[in-house]
Amino acid sequence: MIRIEYNTQRLSMRFFLVMLILFLFQTGFGLLLAMQHIDPTLLSGVLNFNVVRVQHLNLGILWILAGFIGTILFVGPLLSKRELAAPWLIKFLFYALLAIVIWNVLTQYLAQQGIAGWWMGQPWFQEGLEYIEAGRAADIVILIGFAILCYVVLRTFPPLKQWTEIHWGLGLGVIALTAVWMFGLFFIDRLDLQEYFRWYVVHYWVEGVWEVIHISLVGFMMVMMFKAKIKSVGYAVFWGISLVWLSGLIGNAHHYFWIGTPEFWQFWGSLFSALEPLPLIFCFWHIYLDAHQDRKPIKNMPAFAFLLGSVVLEQVGAGILGFTMTFALTNVWSHGTWVTVSHAHLALFGTFGMLGLAAAYYAIPLMRGIKKFDQRLGKLAFWMVFLGMLGMAFAFAIGGTVQVFVYRTLGLDWFGGDVSSAMYFAKIMVPIFGLLFTVGVGLLVYDLLTMGHRPGDIEDGSPEQDDASMQLPTQAVPATGWKRYLSGWEAGIWLLSMWVFGAIITIGLLSFNLTVVREGNPLLPYLMASVGYPGLLLVTLLFVWRFLSSVTARSASPSPKL
Amino acid sequence: MSCKEGELCEEGKKRKIAMVVLGLMAFIFVALSFMSFLDSRGQVIPNNVQYAGHEAVQGKRVFQAYNCMGCHTIVGNGAYLGPDLTDTYATVGPAWLEAFLPSAGSWPTRVAVQVQLNKSAVAAESGVEDIEAYLNKYPAAAERIERRSAHASIMPNLPIKPDEVGAVIAFMKYTSQMDTEGWPPVPQVVGLTRSEAIQMPAKAVSVAVSAEAGTPEAALGDPVALGAQLVKDNGCMACHTDNTQDLIGPGWGGLYASNVTLTDGSTAHVDEDYLTEAILNPDTHIAAGFNQGLMPSYSGILDTQQVTAIVAYIRSLVGEEQ
Repeated sequence: MIRIEYNTQRLSMRFFLVMLILFLFQTGFGLLLAMQHIDPTLLSGVLNFNVVRVQHLNLGILWILAGFIGTILFVGPLLSKRELAAPWLIKFLFYALLAIVIWNVLTQYLAQQGIAGWWMGQPWFQEGLEYIEAGRAADIVILIGFAILCYVVLRTFPPLKQWTEIHWGLGLGVIALTAVWMFGLFFIDRLDLQEYFRWYVVHYWVEGVWEVIHISLVGFMMVMMFKAKIKSVGYAVFWGISLVWLSGLIGNAHHYFWIGTPEFWQFWGSLFSALEPLPLIFCFWHIYLDAHQDRKPIKNMPAFAFLLGSVVLEQVGAGILGFTMTFALTNVWSHGTWVTVSHAHLALFGTFGMLGLAAAYYAIPLMRGIKKFDQRLGKLAFWMVFLGMLGMAFAFAIGGTVQVFVYRTLGLDWFGGDVSSAMYFAKIMVPIFGLLFTVGVGLLVYDLLTMGHRPGDIEDGSPEQDDASMQLPTQAVPATGWKRYLSGWEAGIWLLSMWVFGAIITIGLLSFNLTVVREGNPLLPYLMASVGYPGLLLVTLLFVWRFLSSVTARSASPSPKL
Repeated sequence: MSCKEGELCEEGKKRKIAMVVLGLMAFIFVALSFMSFLDSRGQVIPNNVQYAGHEAVQGKRVFQAYNCMGCHTIVGNGAYLGPDLTDTYATVGPAWLEAFLPSAGSWPTRVAVQVQLNKSAVAAESGVEDIEAYLNKYPAAAERIERRSAHASIMPNLPIKPDEVGAVIAFMKYTSQMDTEGWPPVPQVVGLTRSEAIQMPAKAVSVAVSAEAGTPEAALGDPVALGAQLVKDNGCMACHTDNTQDLIGPGWGGLYASNVTLTDGSTAHVDEDYLTEAILNPDTHIAAGFNQGLMPSYSGILDTQQVTAIVAYIRSLVGEEQ
């Protein structure tokens, strides 16, 4: 493993720790939401559903950002071969982050009293717009925070002429992060115009900015973990970013189907956002290629598992599930239902959350100077959150399909009486898988917080830090069966079968347009959903299992014929 | 698409081409956006929408202040605990919303909606004068009264003020007039049901019927029993309780014969006259801590005998400490 070369890399530690704490709280709020969905009277009037939901959404965004900042600070000096610029500003950024979190958690509660803090026509405490609920006061501090991040990153980076594609990705990423945020800083009278600009922030963050930062960071993680060549990774980063922006810029149109904007957006949105999975397939393929660059055993399995999870769930949650509902003819049904929730959870936590966790698992042992730690806890935590999230996505998707039928096809709009009772099976499944997820989160937070302070962890400089001790005993025996070498051909088959199930889901959503369904027969969409969703999620699960098994045993595999 | 070591990759050139294509995309996007908000499209804008003297823009501020999007969707965006609100104004009508919003914890009864129609502004906005015509015009309101009347809803009571109620309705009037390109899809066959759906107790229907009939069988008996029946039929318990707990309005337990402080600082003694006045002209005296204009007048809905019966019922309710 590499050692910490630059002192300012250690500034990332505090951001990782805050990320973990916020993640824990966010998960707790999520579990509470799931319970409130089952029993809406739970804490009603004390802590209303909408307030709990704001905390769940905003803490989710804040911890993902904390993870990004931590990772960028950790890799910044390595990319620049010098210390970070203005460490005092980074410390200020950290306290600003803490202040924002506490302020926002408190002010969101005011929604129960209907207090937005109107002053100069702007809501200063909270503004009740999904994802960007933070009031103007917090918004401005967040803007300053982003500006600080931009300054630090750009000042640290080498001169423009020496930039690799990873520098370009991160540099453009942090600038766009700041620029896009400004579209959410105004109160807008018109609902259609407000939604138009709200998606500037939400869509361009997720599918423009975060995706770009994600691709760049995944690329550099591959460089650090597998000694992949910056040049070959960088080239993949370049194509990834180009495809993300070329598809995602107009792809934003898929949010403009039904918000009061003209019909022509349905054409542009359906066309361009159908291309959005392309960069994700690309990223997916590259992690396969790059992970096979060196064939030594993976020393930090939890970090790699989360990195793989991030790329695979990006493919499944953002790529495939996003694709299924991106066409006007399917979106007209999925829009405004739990079907979208399934996509959002897998994509947001999977892609961005898991990247932050991977980086934390990679960076924290290095910063604490731990040579060897008990990885079983981390691996167990990975499987628990991975399974928990797949299970929740399944529950949301099935519940959503039922919701579409009952709410839209039958036109029953009594949520307490008709809709909830129909979705009850799915609503029960959410907290069950949610509990599994929560325990996994608790485990990984405990693991990362106490790492290096537990008996059995070996610190740097202890006698038995020989790399040979890391070698697997099975080295001489070629791996077979489930653990055999994962060829590119086989990985392609796995990817293809995910897309086959994705196609089944898409056809299922399309079938809501059929007269026979609209006359009250749900057989076709229900059948497609109950084959498509479990199929897709099961293939995802098996593929990650297969990939990790083969990577664990690959030092014992015969050389691949490429 | 990897670039191997030693290969000529021409990154700079490719980056430039990508930027040019990106610029083209941005141009298309901006052009489409520009066309989207041209006046010639005829999309309704909130500045042109008023409801009973309330501005739709003000309603949008209230909508955001209570974070309605945290439980409901609007144009399909938001949370999924409650129904989408885009078309609600058009389907249930203003009188139903006037009856529902102040005491959202329970579904309005037929009388609660009827009372709202007595307000000339609400009747004018609804386009009808009497409840029968209203339910014909707004079938979703009829469905709600028939199946849900006086049942608890899953929405909490909000501390919403009368002018906020009007403003939110103005905002919902605006959204219902928006052209959303045919979304949400309208059910192709009306009246489809789900066999597994919770069957509504026949009670709900019979309440509506007995309210219409004026409960003649109870009228002959004890006024307290008649009062209790009337309270049930009229849905008074959406805002009041039969104990000392205040809800939207004062709790009735121990209210009779007590002294209440009014908003103007004076004190009033609660007797038959005070209660009668409170039912027929509720805004004459407002007790401190409660909102003026939330309680509708029941003058013209309840006759003298019925008011007396309700007062007798309130009188029979004692506070916890007694």
